[in-house]
Amino acid sequence: MADLELKKEAADRNKQPKKEILEHAPSKKENVVIEFENVSKIYPGDVNAVMDISFSISIGEFISLVGPSGAGKSTLIKLLISEERPTSGRVLVAGRDILKLKKKELPFYRRKVGVIFQDFRLLPKKTVWENVAYALEVSDASNEDIKEKVPKIIDLVGLTSRTYALSEELSGGEKQRVSIARALVHNPKLLIADEPTGNLDPVSTWEIIELLFKINKQGTIVLLATHDKEVVDALEKRVITMKDGRITSDQAKGKYLL
Amino acid sequence: MFLITIYRILKTSVISLWRNRWLSLAAILIMILTLFTITFFGSLLIVIDKATGALKEKVDISVYFNDEVSKDQIFALQNQLMTTQSNIKSIDYISKEKALERWRQNNQENEKVRDVITDTYNPLPRSLEVKTDKPENLEAVFQYLNNSEYKPLIREISYRKNKEIIDRLILITSFVKKIGWSLSFLFILISILIIYNTIRLTIYARSDEIEIMKLVGASDWYVQGPFFIEGMAYGLCAAIVSAIILFFTYELALPSAIDYLGAAEAQAMLSGLKFSYITLAQIGVGLLLGTSCSVYAVRKYLK
Repeated sequence: MADLELKKEAADRNKQPKKEILEHAPSKKENVVIEFENVSKIYPGDVNAVMDISFSISIGEFISLVGPSGAGKSTLIKLLISEERPTSGRVLVAGRDILKLKKKELPFYRRKVGVIFQDFRLLPKKTVWENVAYALEVSDASNEDIKEKVPKIIDLVGLTSRTYALSEELSGGEKQRVSIARALVHNPKLLIADEPTGNLDPVSTWEIIELLFKINKQGTIVLLATHDKEVVDALEKRVITMKDGRITSDQAKGKYLL
Repeated sequence: MFLITIYRILKTSVISLWRNRWLSLAAILIMILTLFTITFFGSLLIVIDKATGALKEKVDISVYFNDEVSKDQIFALQNQLMTTQSNIKSIDYISKEKALERWRQNNQENEKVRDVITDTYNPLPRSLEVKTDKPENLEAVFQYLNNSEYKPLIREISYRKNKEIIDRLILITSFVKKIGWSLSFLFILISILIIYNTIRLTIYARSDEIEIMKLVGASDWYVQGPFFIEGMAYGLCAAIVSAIILFFTYELALPSAIDYLGAAEAQAMLSGLKFSYITLAQIGVGLLLGTSCSVYAVRKYLK
């Protein structure tokens, strides 16, 4: 008896989400930059992190990725930056399967995708300038290039007055701005923000979201993974909702559904 | 462009080495021990080998004759040996006069002893010194003499003592070789383990920074380069220090060797040690050990 019930539960879980919820109309082919084609990621021990997800991202989009813990948001991001490889399916970026990228091409791909995290991940005991410049140094940029680009980017995120402050001396909001600056150093096509406002107070939260908005307006695709209901609702942008490793909703002008 | 990369990688290595200076020191110390052990035993072997060689030259059978024996008989035996025995390198006739000369030379410092034997009173026997090409072949000559018709003429055949010395030297050589190999092997093993572990620890210590590097799209050189350089640095430092220690050991040992063996002997034995080669060899081994350990550790822990 118990077996049957378990089987029914499993069958329910494996059912495809209802079509009506997927309101987002797919863009024209030329504008598509990223495509997930039936991507699954299964970790050893049969942990289904991500199951058969398919969606596409076009130029200039601002997407909020929402879902409970364990829904698979972080895994999706890892697949996108090629930190993990899909167990099945393809991730296409600009038409190329990133799985087929050669090892030496990987750093160049990573430079085109900027990522910021909830815990900022700045280099300790270094100034704002040094943190941003670092991203350029390790990609063989010349010193002249660095001297030219870094102040512009620091200005873009509004931290010019704090250029020589050490990372420890910065407030949470300022730290996140440095992260964003560092992520923008290579003019990425895509900026991924993984719970960027998790450690910030409400005011800093909105400052960061505004900054992300500004960056999106300038042409960079922004993928924002977040728990923050108010932010998602206020943005009135595309919302992809995930649960148990699947996409349960994909709305053009979405709301936080959970 | 390339220079900047090297400069930046070097800078990272130096900073990392400094930050983990105690770890680095431990790794370098164990390498010094390893290199020193290998080269020390190697040098010892070279020296003993030379000594053995020199001694082998001196090994011979001395056949001492009773005074009644005539010169012709002695020369007859000499001919006999030359013709019947192969492997004979040389046979020298030592006359009473020559024997006296040697006696006087050996006892230079001791007049009383020296003057016991004079031109008029010279009981020193005449002898034939038989040298073979290899000390092993002396046995055959000895046997022949023992069993030959000339036996009654012979007062004494002395060669046992020298053979013993050679045998002992050969034993010492193989003993030193065994110890040398075992110790060296042991130290190499320990070195590999310690360096491997040290690099692993430094990788761990810098894992945050490495993660950021990868995130930001650093090329492999930036991530892996500093670790290779650290491995090489360990090897190089160890080699240099070890060479210096060896040199001082040599300097200290030389006077004692001269005291013990006589200047010429000591010089001859130690001549096999060419310091430029030894130092180069140490640097080579040091770099090899250091770099291969770090390459392996990097490959395993920096995916």
